[in-house]
Amino acid sequence: MRKIALFLIAVLALAMVFTPAAFSARKTIIKIGINAPLTGDIPKVGEGSKYAAMLWLEDVEKAGGLEVGGKKYQVELVIEDNESKAESAVKANTKMITQDDVLAIIGPQSSKQAVPAGEVANKYKTVMISPWSTNPNTTMDRPYVFRGCFLDPFQGPVVANFITEEFGFTKAAVLYDVASDYPKGLAEVFKAAWEKKHGPDSIVAYESFTTKDTDFSSQLTKIVKSGAQVLFTPQYYNEVPLIVSQAKDLGWTGPIVGSDSWGSAETVELCGKNCYGLFFSSHYAAAGAKGATKAFIDRYEKSYGYIPDDVAALTWDALKLAEQAIQDAGKISGRVNKDRAAVRDALAKIKNFAGITGNMTFTEEGDPIKCAVIVRINDKGEYEFYKSSCP
Amino acid sequence: MEIARKFKSAFSTVPMLGWMLGILTGVLIEFYWGYDYISYYLGLPKIPVLFGTLIMLKEPMMIPGALGYDLAVYVVPVFLVAKLTSGLTNPLAALLEKLPLALSVLIHLVLFYGILHLWAGINDYRVLVIKLTMISIILTVSINVINGYQGEFSCSHPGFMALGAYVSSIITLVLFANDKIFGAPLLPPEYGPWFFPLALVAGGAAAALGSLAVAIPSFRTRGDYLAIISLAFMFIVKSAVENLHIIGGARGMGGQPDFAPLHVIFIWTILCIWIIHNFVTSIMGKALNTVRDDEAASESMTIKTRKTKMTAFMFGAFWAGVGGGLFAHVLAYINPGMFSINRLAEILAMVYFGGLNSIVGSIVGAVSINVLGEALRPLELFKWIIIPLILIFVMIFRPYGLISFTELNMKKLLRAKTGKGV
Repeated sequence: MRKIALFLIAVLALAMVFTPAAFSARKTIIKIGINAPLTGDIPKVGEGSKYAAMLWLEDVEKAGGLEVGGKKYQVELVIEDNESKAESAVKANTKMITQDDVLAIIGPQSSKQAVPAGEVANKYKTVMISPWSTNPNTTMDRPYVFRGCFLDPFQGPVVANFITEEFGFTKAAVLYDVASDYPKGLAEVFKAAWEKKHGPDSIVAYESFTTKDTDFSSQLTKIVKSGAQVLFTPQYYNEVPLIVSQAKDLGWTGPIVGSDSWGSAETVELCGKNCYGLFFSSHYAAAGAKGATKAFIDRYEKSYGYIPDDVAALTWDALKLAEQAIQDAGKISGRVNKDRAAVRDALAKIKNFAGITGNMTFTEEGDPIKCAVIVRINDKGEYEFYKSSCP
Repeated sequence: MEIARKFKSAFSTVPMLGWMLGILTGVLIEFYWGYDYISYYLGLPKIPVLFGTLIMLKEPMMIPGALGYDLAVYVVPVFLVAKLTSGLTNPLAALLEKLPLALSVLIHLVLFYGILHLWAGINDYRVLVIKLTMISIILTVSINVINGYQGEFSCSHPGFMALGAYVSSIITLVLFANDKIFGAPLLPPEYGPWFFPLALVAGGAAAALGSLAVAIPSFRTRGDYLAIISLAFMFIVKSAVENLHIIGGARGMGGQPDFAPLHVIFIWTILCIWIIHNFVTSIMGKALNTVRDDEAASESMTIKTRKTKMTAFMFGAFWAGVGGGLFAHVLAYINPGMFSINRLAEILAMVYFGGLNSIVGSIVGAVSINVLGEALRPLELFKWIIIPLILIFVMIFRPYGLISFTELNMKKLLRAKTGKGV
């Protein structure tokens, strides 16, 4: 017994000495990381990203893997939950990069997580594409970080232009969450754009509240009394229904306009008839979509039972972008550091990429130049394409 | 049970030094053979992090491989080396016992850091997890001064953390970083790491000053008032930062220079544990305990209760500020949303899980909640069911936490174990 054990150990030791060459034969798998808020404040956003990624993986698997330089590689998704917390997003990115050896990361979605996570991705020289983060800091001075959507400084003027052209109004009111980074930033940009157009006193009410507030009556009363013709409120899907219904109760009759954060499937579900006929700027419109966009929406609805919101569509585009960049990189060497750099260079060169949320070309900073869509919530509660607005 | 008892008695002769040697062997095995040999033969894609828990929960097929890896790399070598070398390590430990205790502790700490550094060096994810865990230890030990030793219920720790994080970030950003808000650095960035401790202390001092805002009005009374006032303080800090555009407002502040590598955080954590341990075992600390048990009685025994309470409160706040400063520099980004009610729940969970009135307990709580949170990550939503459930069970069976009312005894921990008189 003892002899057998000794013999086994000796054989194992010999095998260890003589086989290092065999280890390089570990299979090369292309891994794509998804950093999404599956739990926490905005789980619906995480769910949309996850489902879009799963659809994408289905396609790749159906094709027998991702073809790069004439060779097919197996693709794997590494989906990590960032709990909608910054430090969790940083941990998830660090883990995916240093432990799982992902080639590229899609996410995080909100700027609060994307800004610190982008720092990590850039530090380790790994491509990260945030599909939904509109904060300029996410990509600023970070060559490895890209995004799939337009920025707040672009969206604000788009909305201001749309209201002016569509209704001919000159007095606007703004209601926003002062404690949340996205609504606050967008409200400021909109205010600046509007005042540039209509003069310094054209924002007649500029009211704020704090995250998790549910009663907006004092702010809305002021807005109704201020004589504003239109109300702009760049809030998330959980607040929009409350704001809209309370405004109507207090006698607001004018239009209420929102931003891309309205574009969740939940908004209309929670808001009901009150939201019909309102407008918001977004990345794409589901109702009346054509071509590849429609194909994606139909597939998503068939698989998961509801119409995908903009996060899902943008995640899909980000994945497609990553796919194209990997293919453009020419070959996979198996040495992940080298491949990451190649993917980054290929991604930065992509021009006129035809995504389902519009065509994209990247600027120096990694931000896409693309058009915004003005969406109208129609009488069936669907998001209908109304107008397109390009820079 | 019989086997467990035998097992325990077999290893009772191993001193701390022996365990460390064992762990060092395990880490060295992982370092040299982990990727190329062991994980390869076990069919694992890579060296598993956090002892394979992540990969086990994600891919159940890998469970035998990951368990085999743990056995081959850690369990077997650690116990084997610890037992086999006990003949060598015991005399060594006895030799160290003759040295002054401080020196002996220092030698052990250096050895411990060496092991930690090697273990973490295999993967940067481990480094980050250890860094955040050590910051949690600072926070937990410091809140234990207030919620444990002082017996009050303070909720403002995230607020103190925020003060420390913002003040130290502003200092390092203004002085050493090329920042969008503050412009070019005032001092050459090379001086940064040397100046960093001062920035941290300044952050801590800001938190201690801030704590006066809670302490002065609330220590006239006892009980629930402090909880409410401190909760309000936390929200005041949060909304104040949100409305200050100069430091980023709700958008947060990023780009802190990387002055907090592993050894810096390690030194600060040890400093924190050491100083707080000395504080709570000092006369002031004993006075604090009497205040907790019966304020009127201690007042009549000539203890200045108000002064004692204020000092302890400011002391706890100071370390929370230091923890916040380290946190800001590890993540290189802060926003006010990070220092909110969620963070409070996390800190309170750690301190009540580990144990009140015990530094060891606080460390155990911080490490277990952090490692659990990381290890159960693949379970997503279920993680948030499992961790609270564990907490509830701890609260039912051990109302003061796992290890409560226990002091750190270095002498007992480090002594040679000859099997006699154990």
